Amino acid sequence: MEYAVETFSLTKIFSDWWGRAKVYAVDDLNLQIQYNEVFGLLGPNGSGKTTTLKMLLGLLHPTKGKSLCLGGDATDTKISARIGFLPEESYLYKYLTARETLDFYGRLFRLDRRVRKMRIDALLDMVGLKAVANRPVGTFSKGMARRIGLAQALINDPDLLILDEPTTGLDPIGTRQIKDLILKLAKRGKTVLLCSHLLADVEDVCDRIAILYGGKIQAKGQVAELLQQTHKRQFTTGDISDSAVERIKRIVQEENAECVVTSPMHKLETFFIETVVAAQRQDRRTSGAVSTTKIGDFLAAETISENVLDRLVSAPVSAETPAQPPPTDKAVSTESAEPKPDERVLSKLTEPAVPTMPVADRKIHTQPVETDAPAAKDHVRSDILDELAGRSKPKTKDPNRTDENQAGGSGDA
Amino acid sequence: MRSIWAVAVNTVKQALRMKVAFIFLLLLVLLLPVMAFSSTGDNTLKGRLQTFVSYGLSLTSLLLCLLTIIVSIHTVTSDIEHRQIYTVITKPIRRFEFLLGKLLGTVLLSTGLLVLFLVLIYAVAAYMPRFYSATEADLIEVKNEFLTARKALTPPEPDVSKEVADALKKLISGGNIDQVYGGMSPKEITAQISNTTKLAKRSADVGQQLLWEFYNVKPRDPNGSIFVKFKLEVSVTPPDSEVYSQWGIGDYRPYKYGTQSKGDGEFYPVQRKDPVRKFREIEVPADAVAEDGYLAVAFYNPPLNTTSVIFPLEDGLEVLYKADSFTANFIRAGLLILSRLFFLACLGILTSTFLSFPVAILFCLVIFFTASVSGFVIESFDFLSENMAVVYSYTFKWLIRLLPQFDKFNPSTYLVPAELLSWSVVARVALVMVCVKSLLLLVFALIIFSFREIARITV
Repeated sequence: MEYAVETFSLTKIFSDWWGRAKVYAVDDLNLQIQYNEVFGLLGPNGSGKTTTLKMLLGLLHPTKGKSLCLGGDATDTKISARIGFLPEESYLYKYLTARETLDFYGRLFRLDRRVRKMRIDALLDMVGLKAVANRPVGTFSKGMARRIGLAQALINDPDLLILDEPTTGLDPIGTRQIKDLILKLAKRGKTVLLCSHLLADVEDVCDRIAILYGGKIQAKGQVAELLQQTHKRQFTTGDISDSAVERIKRIVQEENAECVVTSPMHKLETFFIETVVAAQRQDRRTSGAVSTTKIGDFLAAETISENVLDRLVSAPVSAETPAQPPPTDKAVSTESAEPKPDERVLSKLTEPAVPTMPVADRKIHTQPVETDAPAAKDHVRSDILDELAGRSKPKTKDPNRTDENQAGGSGDA
Repeated sequence: MRSIWAVAVNTVKQALRMKVAFIFLLLLVLLLPVMAFSSTGDNTLKGRLQTFVSYGLSLTSLLLCLLTIIVSIHTVTSDIEHRQIYTVITKPIRRFEFLLGKLLGTVLLSTGLLVLFLVLIYAVAAYMPRFYSATEADLIEVKNEFLTARKALTPPEPDVSKEVADALKKLISGGNIDQVYGGMSPKEITAQISNTTKLAKRSADVGQQLLWEFYNVKPRDPNGSIFVKFKLEVSVTPPDSEVYSQWGIGDYRPYKYGTQSKGDGEFYPVQRKDPVRKFREIEVPADAVAEDGYLAVAFYNPPLNTTSVIFPLEDGLEVLYKADSFTANFIRAGLLILSRLFFLACLGILTSTFLSFPVAILFCLVIFFTASVSGFVIESFDFLSENMAVVYSYTFKWLIRLLPQFDKFNPSTYLVPAELLSWSVVARVALVMVCVKSLLLLVFALIIFSFREIARITV
C-alpha cells in the first residue's frame, strides 16, 4: 500500500505466430507512483506508454513481471471501482446519447439513481455538453467525444485517474480545463497517471515524470529538478527604466556572465483563452461544446476542510491532540468507553496516509444527508473538523447540493 | 447483477438502434400478413391454417435464429473491434458478468420478438375463419383436426424375432440365401425379413380381419371424440383408386371373451369407402374407450374389394384423441423455438470470444444449418461408421452428438397434424439443448474470455 501504482520488472513482448519474440513493447519496467502524485509518462510514439497502461488495467497480460494499482490487481472490482480510465481515444457507443453514455457507466459502478443523475448533470455541465446531452455520441466531433470520455472517467470520483493522451483533440480551453482539473484533483489527494507526448501539458501539471523509449525508462524524476538549468538564472521585473536595466547589466558583467534582456511574451495559450473568453462575453453562439471553467461539484471538494485535513495529516498526532478546542469534549462524552476518541479519530485519519484521506473526507460531509445512518463516531469527527476549520457550517454557496454529491461519493467508498 | 443488467439493456439498445433487429422486424411484419392471404394449402380452411401456421412458425424461427446469431456475435465483437470494451471492462465489472450481460440482452431481445410474432401468428390464425366464409363442416374439421392438441397412439409393434429367426434358419438350410439376398450383410438381411414379417401382420386379404388393441387411451373430454387416422396401401390398385372397409371401434372384449367379461365401453361399427394412399380419419364418440383405457380397432376387408389391404408400418394407423388445447400446444411450440434461440445465443457468444465478426457468423451459420438437417447428418455419418468404426466413434460421433437437433423437434411437425407436444418433450429438449449443450458452450466462452487479452496488440 505504499504506492498508488507500482510495477515490478513489467515486460511485454509481442511475438509473431511462431512464438518468436518480435517486439519488446515494454522492457523490465519498474515504476513507483506515490499517492497524491501527478505522474507523467512521456515518450515518442510506440515507446510503450499505452501498452504499460493496458497492462496496469489488465487489458493486456504482461509477459513477465507484475503490476499493482492502489495496492491490488486492477481487475479486482474493489480496486477498479476506485480507478478512472480514459483511453487514448474516446471509444464510445455511438448510438447512446451523452446522458445515456454516462448513465451506463454510472450503472457499472453500481451508483444509485439519485447519485447518478446528480453526477451526470455536474459532469455534463463541467465538460460543457449540457446543451447536447440528448444527442447521440456518434454525431459528436472528436473534441466533444473526448469530453464525454473524460466525464466517464470521472463518474466514480476515482482515487486513481489514468489518462492516456487526455488532451488530444481538445481545443486550448479544453486542454487548460483538463490541466486545471488534474491539479484540482491532485490537491484533493487523488493520484493521476498521465500519458502524453504533448510536453507542454505534462510540464504544467506533473510532479514527476518518466521518459520511456523502447519500453525502457530513459529518465525519471521531479519535473522541477529535471528541467532546472542550474547554471542559469532568470528574474522577471516590473516595468523598470532603461537606465536601471543598464545598471543591472553592468552588475552581471562584473560576475563574468552573459545577460539577455527581453520583454516577456504572453503564452499563446493565455492569449487564446483571453480572446475566446472575450468572445463568449459577447454571447456568440457556437455549435460545439461550450467552454466552461467549471469543475464538477462532487470533484471539487471544499478547500477549507482539505486544508484542515492536510494539517491533520502532516502534523504528528500527539502534538495535535492537546490543541483540540474545548467543544470536542462534548463529543468525547458521547463515547465514554473510549478514553480519547479525538485522538483515535485523528490517528485514524492520519494512519492510512494520503490515499484514504478523500474517503474519510467524504464520509464526514456525507453525514448531514444520511439521516438514517446511526454511526455516532462520524458525528464526532465532523464536529472536530468543523471546530478545527473554525466554522460551524460548511462554507459553500449551496451546501445542500454539495452535500448530496458528497453522499454519492460515499456510496462507492 | 446490476452491472449484468446494465450491459444487457445496452445490448438491446444497440441491436434496436443499430437497426439490426429492425430489419428482421420489418421482414416479419411484412411477410406474415402476406402469407396469411397467400397460403391456400389444399383450399380447405384447415389447409390454409396448416400452411399459414407452419410457414409462419418456420419463417419466424428461421429469421429469429439468424437474428440471434448476428446480434450475439455483433454485440461482443463490435465492442472489441471498436474498443468500447476498454472503458467497460476496466469498470468494476467482472468479465463473466460482461458476457452474461451480453447473453441476457440477446436472449431478452429474441424472446421479446418471439413473443410478439407468436402472438401475431396466433391472432391471425384465430381470425382466419372469419375472413373466409367457412362452412359449418369446415369449422368442425378445423376444430377437431387443427385447433386442438391430440395425443397419437400407434399400435404396439409385434415381436417378430422368433419368426425372423425361423425364416433365416429356413433360408440357410435351404441354401439359397445368396440367391435371394445376394450381396447383403447379415444385418441387412435380418432387417428386411423383420420388416416383411411385420408388414404381413398389418395386411388383410379379402375377407380377413385385423385387430389392434390399445390399453392406455385417456381422452381429456369423455363426451368428446376419438379419431382413428389411417392410410391404406393396396396390392392391386382398384380402377377408381378407392377401397371399401368395415371397421369396429370400441370395447371389443365382450365379443372376444364373451359377455360376462368386463366391458363398459361402447362398440361402434363403421363402413367406409376411401381413396388409397391418403390419410383419412374416422371420428367416434369418446365413450368407445373403456373406463380402464382399453380401446380396440378392428378392420375387416370386405369381399367388395378385390385386393388385399396393407397398413404401412410407419404411419398406417394411429388412434388420436384430444389431450390438450391448441393454445397450450402453441405456447409449448414457442418454447421449443426459444430453446433453439438460447442455444444459438450461447453459440454466438462463444464464437465471438475468439473469432472476428465475419468468421464467427460463418461458423455459426454452418452449425445452424447442420443442426437444421441433423437427422440427415447423423444418418450419413452413421453409415460412415460401418467402415471406420473406431475412428468415428471416438471423434466425430461425439461432436455430432453435441449438435442440437433442430429438425427433430420442429414445432411445425406437431402443430400441423395437431399432435400433442407434451411437456415432457419440451422439458427434454430444454434440458438437453439449454441446460447441457448451451451451458457447456457458455462455460467454454467464459473460460476463453476470462483469460484472453482484451486489448489488441498495437506497437
